[in-house]
Amino acid sequence: MTTPATPSAHPHSPLSFVEEILLLALDDTTGALRPMPVMGLDYALAGALLADLALANRIDTDPQQLVVLDRAPTGDPLLDRALGQIASAPAPQSVSHWLGVFASERSTLERAALERLVARGILSQQEKKFLWVFGVRRYPTVDNQERVEVRTRLSALILGEDLPDPRDAILISLLTASHLLARIFDDARYHARSERIATLARMDLVGREVAAAIDTLARVLRTATPVMGM
Amino acid sequence: MEITETKQPTATVLALAGRLDGLASPALEQRIDATLASGAKVLVLDLSALAYVSSAGLRVFLSAAKKFKTAGGRATFVALPASVREVFELSGFLTVLDVRADLASAL
Repeated sequence: MTTPATPSAHPHSPLSFVEEILLLALDDTTGALRPMPVMGLDYALAGALLADLALANRIDTDPQQLVVLDRAPTGDPLLDRALGQIASAPAPQSVSHWLGVFASERSTLERAALERLVARGILSQQEKKFLWVFGVRRYPTVDNQERVEVRTRLSALILGEDLPDPRDAILISLLTASHLLARIFDDARYHARSERIATLARMDLVGREVAAAIDTLARVLRTATPVMGM
Repeated sequence: MEITETKQPTATVLALAGRLDGLASPALEQRIDATLASGAKVLVLDLSALAYVSSAGLRVFLSAAKKFKTAGGRATFVALPASVREVFELSGFLTVLDVRADLASAL
């Protein structure tokens, strides 16, 4: 995916998982990224990309492999580039393999999602100088309706006992895996529902694989840190 | 995948045989939606001859359970083979869905 990102051809369509994850990863007021584990956003965006392809009925997964169901373009340049990459692999690979591939494309995914959220009028782009020299780009919120709606929906799911629909199950799974859910819902009511959150987070395979990748990396870094400090 | 429908006095039973993957899932989803639209309140999915279920298949199951619950009914999953039970366990579906040992216990 080396081609520059292109905004979606459908600015009035519902948010994709890639857009939704990035929107929820940004602080509402400052427009800066919320704190996440190392590679947390990289794997969350990669997982969101696979989830978008799955719900577009282009790919399917099981614990062993990810397979292409349909090579027909979706009309979304970001998804179609990823689909082309997956389809051109000589043999089916695992979900974790493709998460690794697309996590390395984080800057492309992030830039494309930001452009789309700005084009939709949800975010604005601000350039600021840091120490009067370094340019810092921030994305403050213009229209918070999307964030409020998704938070309200997810909050009701976490605090209640309703079954999630498959889309919300995927979203909760990706947000939990990347530790964003705990940042978004950070009060005692949600802490008391950790078992419910864990149950919801297990429901999607891609989300489970994202969690495994991030946790494995954290373990490796914890093991490596004392050696690096010597 | 083969879908066999049986009308019972208290439920509509769909018996699934073969592989429920991303290619077979749309047909099952249509069948479930048609059952719901016909006014059925209880759907029983007999999985005794189901050899495989992928993520797309699991989404259809979750969606069916949600739709029937929202409509004031229920979707029950019965007679899971070991391989399907393992996938349900991994996904937490054993906890959140109505899963029973056999058809008789769901009617």
